[in-house]
Amino acid sequence: MPATLEIGRVGAIVLRQMRRPIMTLLVVYAVAVCGMTVIPGKEIDGQTYYMSLFHAFYFITYTATTTGFGEIPHEFSDAQRFWAIACLYVSVIAWFYAIGAIIRLAQNPHFRLALAERNFANSVERITEPFFVLCGFGDTGSLLARGLSDARIPTVILEADEARIQALTLRDYNVPMPGLCADASIPMHLQEAGLERPNCKAVIAATNNEEVNLRISAIASLLNSNATIVTRSREDVFEETLATLSRNLHIVDPFQVFAKGLSAAIFNPALYMFNEWLVGAPGATSTRLSLWLHGTLEPRLRVPPKGKWIICGYGRMGHEAHEVLAKRGLKVAVIDPHPGRSQEDGLSQYVIGQTTARTLRDAGIEDAVGIVAGTDDDGHNLGILLNARALNPNLFVIVRQNRHANEVAFDKANADIIMQPSLVTARRILLTLIAPLLKPFFKFLLKLPEETKDEFMDDLLRRLIGTVGDKKPHLVTLHITGETSSAVVELLESGETVLLGDVLRNPVDREHYIDTVPLVVCSKSGRDCTDTAIQVLPGNDYAIKKGDQILLCGREKAHRLLDSTLNNEYTLHYLRTGKEKPRGYFMQWLVKHYPELAG
Amino acid sequence: MNLEKVMFGFFIVLALTLNFGFFLGEMENPEHHNVFELFAVVVVNFIATGLKLGDRSHIGAVLLATSLVADLELVAASVYWAVTVHVTGTGLTSQVMASIISLTGGALLANVISVVMLVSETLMSRR
Repeated sequence: MPATLEIGRVGAIVLRQMRRPIMTLLVVYAVAVCGMTVIPGKEIDGQTYYMSLFHAFYFITYTATTTGFGEIPHEFSDAQRFWAIACLYVSVIAWFYAIGAIIRLAQNPHFRLALAERNFANSVERITEPFFVLCGFGDTGSLLARGLSDARIPTVILEADEARIQALTLRDYNVPMPGLCADASIPMHLQEAGLERPNCKAVIAATNNEEVNLRISAIASLLNSNATIVTRSREDVFEETLATLSRNLHIVDPFQVFAKGLSAAIFNPALYMFNEWLVGAPGATSTRLSLWLHGTLEPRLRVPPKGKWIICGYGRMGHEAHEVLAKRGLKVAVIDPHPGRSQEDGLSQYVIGQTTARTLRDAGIEDAVGIVAGTDDDGHNLGILLNARALNPNLFVIVRQNRHANEVAFDKANADIIMQPSLVTARRILLTLIAPLLKPFFKFLLKLPEETKDEFMDDLLRRLIGTVGDKKPHLVTLHITGETSSAVVELLESGETVLLGDVLRNPVDREHYIDTVPLVVCSKSGRDCTDTAIQVLPGNDYAIKKGDQILLCGREKAHRLLDSTLNNEYTLHYLRTGKEKPRGYFMQWLVKHYPELAG
Repeated sequence: MNLEKVMFGFFIVLALTLNFGFFLGEMENPEHHNVFELFAVVVVNFIATGLKLGDRSHIGAVLLATSLVADLELVAASVYWAVTVHVTGTGLTSQVMASIISLTGGALLANVISVVMLVSETLMSRR
């Protein structure tokens, strides 16, 4: 076990470092005590008094620590006094030496690291519920930790930067979040983080280094084949390497996520709004969403227009944005200081140079409808935004915010969409982990036929907003298993049918339903949850099966009510039949013989 | 209306009120406490306990527990009464009477808890 190993290591370091000081003290004490007993004292009643071992040890004890109670039990002879002087100096020096060694040890960085690792391993050991391992506590990591804390999932954090771990200790979380300053790509540290424990459900590789993320994913899939692995990485680079590692692996590429979002925003605005609302994006509250539904657009919720677009900066974000826009047949101009890229990717218009008023005009800003400021420098991006707005006030502006710390400036800049790679990644990872069924749901929405698409999305959004109201939407995945929904499983095993609609009735008044909408049902678990096994927007007549996973979106309070319904056989019976189930043996007997008394 | 709720409510409240009636009066004075009332309290309490057997909900388990506590203390009080009057022949001295009444006082408290829980459960379910 790694934990005991660490405890052993701390003990061993202390013993090894303190060996010499302790031996020195021991020798000094032994010589001093022996000397005290053999040196003749004053004559008492005609007999030379010799100190006993006990008295000698008592004397040395208070002398060596410079307490000095005087000459006990009798007045000393001069010979004893000479010896006492020697003892005093030598023993005090020996004590200083020992104390110095202890302080040196406490300041030794290796010892402190061992101590921190031991405390960390202990706190990981204390987590008994399912937990996640999060590698990397940067912008993405801290956003994720906040989200996981809200979802009440304990998370073990590994981060290589000492300062970030210091920041972690100051945060206030709802659940334990032990952190260790360590390189997460070293298997031993992942072991210490409890990766091999059966209640470790997922590993998140969210460091800023993609090589490290790849290594973490590989190690994690070897150490724990059951855990879900989520990696922040560029898909094109690592897809081939990672995809073969494990079927539980999810790759999150922030720029691709953004590009898909941009594409949805232009060509499928309802889907985009739905996603924004679901993740709780600041511009997409229920009120604004319903305004949008009724055709009254708010500036922050404008839909990106179709037409000519300008992309500033042809890095990762620029590439992805260009790809989705060009694929859909929009005209795109790119401005980038690096020459010689115009031939690749079939760029239609490539302006070389920094983004300035001149290059913007060259790219044709007057007749453009939108601009993407996607360089990796926040100052540049803000500059582009201001320049572009000055040249063409009607532009739809998408700006990339690289550092979380610059939030205030970007909020003031009044861009139409602010793309924060760290935020996008954190949201996507969070949804992948706490609502894995959302992915098949979105796939379904994307495959909707063109003619019914708008109507379907409108209905869905109206229904969701009507249910959730102005609260923040809460997503929950129900697992119909013996542990999480005991009453339902009991009924199913006795051969009864349990309808989804009955479970969703309100325990206070069964004619009404609790404030939640079932989005997806999947009858297979985890990796087997393919398209064939899912049912989107199941009706109230859906018969629940054992092992089902149900994704619900609604109010948090409704989900708490639902949880108690699923585990209370009496409530469930009432909701299904409208009658109280007889509780005591006597009543059960009575109802069996006189069924008319039930009710 | 739920017949089971009516029955259990009836018996638990009856047990509480009878218990209170027996408890009422000067503590050491046997004249103030009727042995038949004690008998009735014990019987009604046992019926209330019996009605709760088989309930698998949380609140049912706690109600059963408090009911069992009341039973235990009432049985202890009655046995003490019987032993002092019929076996040792001590009779109902003031010390004996004080012990019996304090035991039923404990049972009274357990019954109060039962009723409070019953009422709060009913209020909470709001059906």
